[in-house]
Amino acid sequence: MRSRAAAAVLSREGFKEAYSMEGGISAWEGLRAAGPPEAGMAYFDPAHTLEELIALAWMLEEGACKFYREMGSKDKHEEAAALFRELSDDEEKHQSSLFKIYQRRAGKDADPGFPRSLLSLESGVDYLEGGIVLNKALEWAQGKELKDLLDFSISLEVNAIDLYIKMERRAEGKKAKEVFKALSNQERNHLKRLTAGL
Amino acid sequence: MGIMDYFKPVDTWSPDKVRQFLNEKGPQEYNLIDVRTPKEYEEGHLPGARLIPVGELETRWKELDRNKPTITY
Repeated sequence: MRSRAAAAVLSREGFKEAYSMEGGISAWEGLRAAGPPEAGMAYFDPAHTLEELIALAWMLEEGACKFYREMGSKDKHEEAAALFRELSDDEEKHQSSLFKIYQRRAGKDADPGFPRSLLSLESGVDYLEGGIVLNKALEWAQGKELKDLLDFSISLEVNAIDLYIKMERRAEGKKAKEVFKALSNQERNHLKRLTAGL
Repeated sequence: MGIMDYFKPVDTWSPDKVRQFLNEKGPQEYNLIDVRTPKEYEEGHLPGARLIPVGELETRWKELDRNKPTITY
């Protein structure tokens, strides 16, 4: 999972041919890899408005918040439970930063259906980075080792950083740039903390 | 419109494809990057792989030639 996120980072930086090896080192050694929920770890298409990207980021924060909350409630991974709970709380704060910046930009035209109607998405399904359906990720996480959960969480954070970097580059206003920069910094901190748990 | 309108898949290669590619090309023709931790790298890595943990890639990609095919794992 980490390597797909890594390939996405390289694509962002202008690498024309960046490939992630399926299944990682265990597949290379002929072992079956611990399969991620879906093959879809991916980067977003840049042809969207900043408002849409803010809505997308909000939804992905919500998905991450719920995923981490669930991970933080597992007795099995007690050593990481506190970390997952803190990450969950942080992602919730990120949602409110994003909503504020959306309101500030949209002003009177703010869409009461934020974020889903901006993205033309129906309600009821939560998503993670890469368009992974939250419930599928939670099913996958059942009975997984902590290492696999950390690997998956790291890939979420790398993708979140990627998204905020792209949003910072896209934004024209100083305030918006600052908000996206602060968000990517906070996700970087998450990435460090998750990596330390491996 | 669906959520996947906001994402594009990352290109992936199977281990067999990677193996074939590495056999056919010289090490100066590609970047092979291990994005795991130093500890995982020490426990075993692909021949010729260079360690750049995923969290460092954001700054350290500059060490690589981005015109070369690049494989991450």
